[in-house]
Amino acid sequence: MTSEQLAQNAAETTKIFEIDRIGLSIDGNAILSDVSLEFPAGEVVALVGHNGSGKSSLLKILARQLTPTSGTAAYGGRDLKQYQGRDFARSVAYLPQDLNTGSDMTIRELVGCGRYPWHGALGRFSEIDKQKVEAAIAATHIETFAERVVGTLSGGERQRAWIAMLIAQDAHCLLLDEPTAALDIAHQVEVLSLVRRLAHEGGRSVVIVLHDINMAARFCDRIHALKGGRVVASGMPGEILVPATLHAIYGIDMDVISVPTLSHPLAYAC
Amino acid sequence: MSPTRSDNLGPALVCLALLCGGGVAAWLLIEPALSVVAGQGYDTRRMVLYYSTLPRLVTALLAGAALAMSGALFQHILRNPLADSTTLGVSAGANLALVVVSLFVPGLFGAGRDVVALAGSAAAAAIVIGLGARRGFSPYSLVLSGLVLSLWCGGLAAILIYLNQRYLASLFIWGAGSLAQQSWTIPLSLAWKMTIVAMVCALVMRPLSLLDLGEAGSAALGVRLARLRVIVIACAVTLAAIVTSAVGVIGFIGLVAPTLARLSGARRPVQLIFWSPLIGAALLFFADSVLQLSAGGLGSFLPTGAVTAIFGSPLLLALLPRLKVRHRIQQAELPRRSRRRSASAPLIIAVMSVLGLVTVSLFVGRGPGGWAVLSGEFFDDILALRAPKVFAALASGAMLGVAGSILQRLTGNEMASPEVLGISAGATFGVAIALFAIAPGFPGEFAFAAGGAISVLAIILLGSRRSNFAPERVLLAGIALSAMVDAVVGVLSSTGDPRAALLMRWMSGSTYLVNGTIAMSEVALGAALIAIALAARHWLDILPLGPAPSAAVGIPLAGSRLALFGLAGLMTAAATLTVGPLSFVGLMGPHFARELGLTRALPQMIGAALIGGGLMTAADFLGRTIAAPYQIPAGLVSALIGAPCLMLLLGKKR
Repeated sequence: MTSEQLAQNAAETTKIFEIDRIGLSIDGNAILSDVSLEFPAGEVVALVGHNGSGKSSLLKILARQLTPTSGTAAYGGRDLKQYQGRDFARSVAYLPQDLNTGSDMTIRELVGCGRYPWHGALGRFSEIDKQKVEAAIAATHIETFAERVVGTLSGGERQRAWIAMLIAQDAHCLLLDEPTAALDIAHQVEVLSLVRRLAHEGGRSVVIVLHDINMAARFCDRIHALKGGRVVASGMPGEILVPATLHAIYGIDMDVISVPTLSHPLAYAC
Repeated sequence: MSPTRSDNLGPALVCLALLCGGGVAAWLLIEPALSVVAGQGYDTRRMVLYYSTLPRLVTALLAGAALAMSGALFQHILRNPLADSTTLGVSAGANLALVVVSLFVPGLFGAGRDVVALAGSAAAAAIVIGLGARRGFSPYSLVLSGLVLSLWCGGLAAILIYLNQRYLASLFIWGAGSLAQQSWTIPLSLAWKMTIVAMVCALVMRPLSLLDLGEAGSAALGVRLARLRVIVIACAVTLAAIVTSAVGVIGFIGLVAPTLARLSGARRPVQLIFWSPLIGAALLFFADSVLQLSAGGLGSFLPTGAVTAIFGSPLLLALLPRLKVRHRIQQAELPRRSRRRSASAPLIIAVMSVLGLVTVSLFVGRGPGGWAVLSGEFFDDILALRAPKVFAALASGAMLGVAGSILQRLTGNEMASPEVLGISAGATFGVAIALFAIAPGFPGEFAFAAGGAISVLAIILLGSRRSNFAPERVLLAGIALSAMVDAVVGVLSSTGDPRAALLMRWMSGSTYLVNGTIAMSEVALGAALIAIALAARHWLDILPLGPAPSAAVGIPLAGSRLALFGLAGLMTAAATLTVGPLSFVGLMGPHFARELGLTRALPQMIGAALIGGGLMTAADFLGRTIAAPYQIPAGLVSALIGAPCLMLLLGKKR
């Protein structure tokens, strides 16, 4: 099978990513050790943990930005190494944490960059590409500022623009590295609702690195928790949000209270 | 005020090592004269020792200290690790003032050389810092305007010297920084002037050391920033001016000495400002003694300024990866540019202008009888002479423009260009080797130039890969390489080799030697390389977003960067062959294109090509006609027209 066919078949499997005993060390420091996890298709999966727990590195491995030093990572049942750059990008889109904010491009041009995996280095920017860009802009509700320059947008608008670029990429799977890190609470809810809608209505799978355990519980279907490069907990939000598990993840005493209007309990530090 | 001991150990060791090295070399120089039994009456060796060798060594110590002090002050007050009297154009300003005054109003020297030099450097500093202030002292725009001004002053001085060669030959050697002395006058006058400036500096030391807290923080503690800035900059400019007026332009000491101090452990501002002059003094002393020792009889003719650059730049390059940029550079605000809806209007205007320029350039000339449109019996003959130069200039300018555009997009740095990054200098170096080793034709020279340009790119690529092309690293590396090549050429030309004269003419960017074959090759190369660059437009659109997003959409990072850098190198090499390394078109083309609202890769490259080609054609035309029957090299003219335009643009932006 070619790399391209592999990428297309991947969308139809039930486990979008499977990683098996992954280890990563950089300059002799173990970042990840013995991590084995599964990511079901069609779900929003959160990676949580304290700073330096390895969650971003794990996401980078899934995005093929880093290569694990041991173990295997598979996408759609095939090892990540079997894919080629553009074919993989047609199927999996990745949003890095540090985004270049000082870009000269307009939003529409930025979103257009997401079409690169389809038209390639020498191809024309076709009518289909244009339609996909417009659809992505519409899906993220950024029509009103599509002509503005990226550098002039507020944080929430900019994140939506980048997510629009990922949507234009037409990928089955979105990998998002702390897309809400610099946002206020209103924009966090706005961006995460958008991500959830994209997954559940658009049939996409999402892996998202989040800081806030309550946000993860509210918007994600499943939570994988890391600590010191190892998996400490994995399950549905309700299974993770119990005091003992939270203590294992964050290393401090935490408790939960139930809120009548929410479907899941709310965690807080004691 | 008592710095901890461990912080001082490193700088002290560096200082001691340099002084020991210099001391040994100096002793070997003096020793023969001392070992002779003191003769009676007229003892030449002893006179040389007392009135030439010793004053020279003392001058080296003093000039080194003054330059390093000036550099340290500039770096600290502007919070910019790249600042020094060379990169801010202050030395070049003093140099130009001295050249102009000695040519046109020599009477002014009655008021004192120092006054003239000081006026020149103060004007340069005022222009550069005034422009910088409008952009919130953004370090890059400051160094950019400084380098542009430096180049402009250097270019103008070169033209003046070129047109008045007989009177200014010795000025040229002096301009390259010669420490040769005939008496104690210069070191003594340097010493008391420096003492005054040092005393002023000591008075502002306290507020100066608070500056690390940032503007708001130090103002909150009661530091009067505006006044402090004026005092410190005035001190730094004065130091640079008195040294320039005494011994000419000695580059790099002001950049290298504070860098060495910082790398060897000096941390606090007081330490930096204390150790930098000592290290600078030791450094120049060492460089000059070694130079005198190794060059023997030629020593008094070899400009030390050139030699310090040959020593200093590799040192800087080697230290670069270890340099932590402590001065936190505040991110410049993104200027809110108005964007035009379509790119076609500016492009159409550009195409029309270039066509117009080429036509005028081909058919209008200036003969003995004044301006004339080409006609009559010599039509074919003259056209056959003119056309190759016009088209070679056009192709070279276009290639430089596109190369600049590619480099700016790849490094994410608006100041990147073949000239600033030292790639042109690399090409020059290749040609110099080609000229001195063998004497090949156009293909051979192109191969050597391309080799030089691409090796410089490789050095930049390897050196800054770990820092992810952090702009300050790339720029420092480029400045270092350019200075080194300038220095090598300076040393070569002061040896009096006839091939050096050829190299000098070529460096000034003269299209005089271009014939039909060369022009054809240039145009063909230009068309092919630009076509390849235009085909890579998608890469160039996406790569500025950063490595992670680019890799995420499937761009092969290493491969695409390598290909694009290589392409820029080839274009620079081809263009440098006809218009020399100093045209600045590679910087101006993309800048003007961006100012016209062309921000995407494809229109920007086309715009940069048209503007670059147009500028070069216009420069060639002006150079040919303005001082007819003399021909002023096109490369110099384009630098002289373009640099002020660029500075105006820099100043206009909020």
